[in-house]
Amino acid sequence: MRIAALTLAFGLAACGAMTAQEPLEVGTKAPDFTLPAATAEGIVKPVQLSELRGRTVVLAFFYKARTKG
Amino acid sequence: MDAYRDQYAKLFNDGRDVTLLAISTDDIGALASWAKDAKYPFTFLSDTGGHVGRQYGAFNPAYKLDNRTLYVIGPDGTIVHRAAPFREVDPMAYTDLGAAIAKARGGQ
Repeated sequence: MRIAALTLAFGLAACGAMTAQEPLEVGTKAPDFTLPAATAEGIVKPVQLSELRGRTVVLAFFYKARTKG
Repeated sequence: MDAYRDQYAKLFNDGRDVTLLAISTDDIGALASWAKDAKYPFTFLSDTGGHVGRQYGAFNPAYKLDNRTLYVIGPDGTIVHRAAPFREVDPMAYTDLGAAIAKARGGQ
């Protein structure tokens, strides 16, 4: 019983570590990515973050289209 | 997003040397139609799998959505400011964001 409880505790801890969502620290390199893009004019060519080097970039993650904020 | 649009000139220098990328797990069609209807002057990115959201610690696996998280990345690709969570109803959040952008641009 005790071993089962310990196994469960370790299992939960491992799951927690896998799903942990830690924001990136200031001073670190922003990981590169390429994603499908759209503007008010419609769908445009995908954006690769590293192509924007030389400009200041603001990444704003948000919940869902057509919600406030 | 309305706050970003309405303060676009002031906060983001009208997009001249600042690029605002708004990211969610919506598909690109939903983002394109919203951007058109609301006349947003910036770019939306579709991260349907939440892959980039995970990389940046914004993805909420319970809801499969991104939490409001904001990063300012300087011209050299380094993160210079972070708001996690970004408190979109707090006017101070925009003051801090504006200051961080101005500082990043000043280094160019």
